[in-house]
Amino acid sequence: MGSLAERNGYDVGLHLLDRQVLGADDRPVGKVDDVELLLDDGGALVPTALLLGLPALLPRFGPRLGSGLARLHRLVREAAADQDLPLVVDFDLVEEVASDVRLSEPSPRLLHRMAHERADDPRRCRVGDLLGLAVRCAALPRHSKVLDLRMVGSPNGSGEHRVAALLVGPGRPGALLGYDRRSEPGPAAVAAVIHWLHRHARVVELGEGVEIDNEAGEVRIRAGTSLAPLRG
Amino acid sequence: MKRYFAVLLGILTAIGGFVDIGDLVTNAQVGARFGTSLAWVVLMGVIGICVFAEMSGRVAAVSGRATFDLVRERLGPRIGFLNLVGSMLVTLLTFIAEIGGVALALQLVSSVHHVLLVPFVAVAVWLVLWRAKFSSIENVLGLMGLALIGFAVALWQLGPDWGGLAAGLSPAEKPGAEGWATYAFFGVALFGAAMTPYEVFFFSSGGVEERWTAKDLGVMRANVLIGFPLGGVLSVAIAASAATLFLPAGVAVETLGQVGLPVAVGLGKIGLAIVVLGFFAATFGAACETGLSTGYSLAQYFGFPWGKFVRPREAAGFHLILLVVTVIAAGVLLTGVDPIMVTEVSVVFSAVALPLTYFPILVVANDPDYLGEHVNGRLANLLGVVYLLIITIASLAAIPLMVVTSMGQG
Repeated sequence: MGSLAERNGYDVGLHLLDRQVLGADDRPVGKVDDVELLLDDGGALVPTALLLGLPALLPRFGPRLGSGLARLHRLVREAAADQDLPLVVDFDLVEEVASDVRLSEPSPRLLHRMAHERADDPRRCRVGDLLGLAVRCAALPRHSKVLDLRMVGSPNGSGEHRVAALLVGPGRPGALLGYDRRSEPGPAAVAAVIHWLHRHARVVELGEGVEIDNEAGEVRIRAGTSLAPLRG
Repeated sequence: MKRYFAVLLGILTAIGGFVDIGDLVTNAQVGARFGTSLAWVVLMGVIGICVFAEMSGRVAAVSGRATFDLVRERLGPRIGFLNLVGSMLVTLLTFIAEIGGVALALQLVSSVHHVLLVPFVAVAVWLVLWRAKFSSIENVLGLMGLALIGFAVALWQLGPDWGGLAAGLSPAEKPGAEGWATYAFFGVALFGAAMTPYEVFFFSSGGVEERWTAKDLGVMRANVLIGFPLGGVLSVAIAASAATLFLPAGVAVETLGQVGLPVAVGLGKIGLAIVVLGFFAATFGAACETGLSTGYSLAQYFGFPWGKFVRPREAAGFHLILLVVTVIAAGVLLTGVDPIMVTEVSVVFSAVALPLTYFPILVVANDPDYLGEHVNGRLANLLGVVYLLIITIASLAAIPLMVVTSMGQG
């Protein structure tokens, strides 16, 4: 398999989240602390922006620890009322995703603070909110969660981007460490352990049988929806 | 000439791992109590740090990403943060100890009490971190640190019973007065010191500072293969010269002055002067290494500009961190706490930081997205997995051993 750029499809959690963002002038801008998704009119989940800064990072620490830390952050940064919203980098500015995320413009004046209306828009959500959502499905073990989101399109290309499938299974998001992809063989011993730990993980295409319910904080997969094994 | 200076990054990195203030004293203590029966642990540590420093250096050279970038990227924000806290504590405690160590080295020369010297040392360290070029830090302190080779010369001049020293290399030659738990505690402490996580933070970030590319992989490997074995040799030379002088007499080593005593006996005043210069350079170098590492790891976790290759104005957050940690270090030392004691406490936090640092390095070193054709070969993977197991065992054993042996007293 070729490099990320040549591949059609990538995993948001693995290939995009937590990578270093560099401006066109090579200066570090920040980390991809979260990614914003938009539920468009056709019902597809489309990535619209990279979110940067502590307001994007802290909620990813989980419901309890994350909200505690976020409260602490607001307390410290009370002087600036808009500081509880993350910085936004539009997805169109992403030029290349490799071991870092390179933008097409130099770093100064690149970032803007997310507007309140945008933050409250019910059609928008964050990858960090979707990862770790409980999955209800008769064919999967009881404690299954959303482990990663699989995208179509190359992060470098301009073409279509949307979430095509969910990686679901028991365990924690990020714990696959990239071993679900054939391109990352790793030390055989580590790969074998990770594969064994995630032997129940499956890929499910987004479509009729899959309902993402942000309100209830769960994903329901109807019985009979086809679940593909991770590799192959 | 420049080509020879290119390996000084590895030497400076190794100095911070093998012969910083805590290890200078620990090595001599180990020699005085256990002879050379723990030298095999140092050898094991040298191989381990070579394996992982080479991987992290390779990732840094090919992709430009330093170690804490990898930690955050593979472990995610939560576990990455746990590692950040653990390794920041190790690095900060060691930084505090090194500033105290520089003061102790100056106390040997000036007879002024080290607490009085601490504020001046702290200001000097901060000025170097703020103003000096990365390559000057590396060249000056790396070269001066080589003065510690005086221990190897002194060992030769002391004329030890070489056969006895060689026979003592076996773990079975542990002196009967010492228990196995204490032996294991010092073994874990030496291994942990050899593989201490800030070495890879500093080495990989240093590679980025030096603007290594895939073409510099040879230079990077030369750094690894010269620097760390040299650190191991210095470490064993200190232990062996202490073993020669102190073990027969049953003298316990407590202070930095006693560490230098075998050199004074073997080589006289000049030798002692050279070695004290080495103490100064090694502790000052380790202070720079750990100080910069705190800034590197925080900046790489949160993604803001870092390093000495950008102008201080552009990396304001990074330089602010350096200032804050220096003030904290001076404040802690002014309470009169023993700097050597501080490094011993840091072992606890190493237990968290070690596995969480080396595991993501091993995983990413296999990722073609990062390394393309330069991914790990079979040997690197085999050694990486074996050492990951050893590191995990050592980490799990560290705290119980510390409690059982009262930090090696029992």
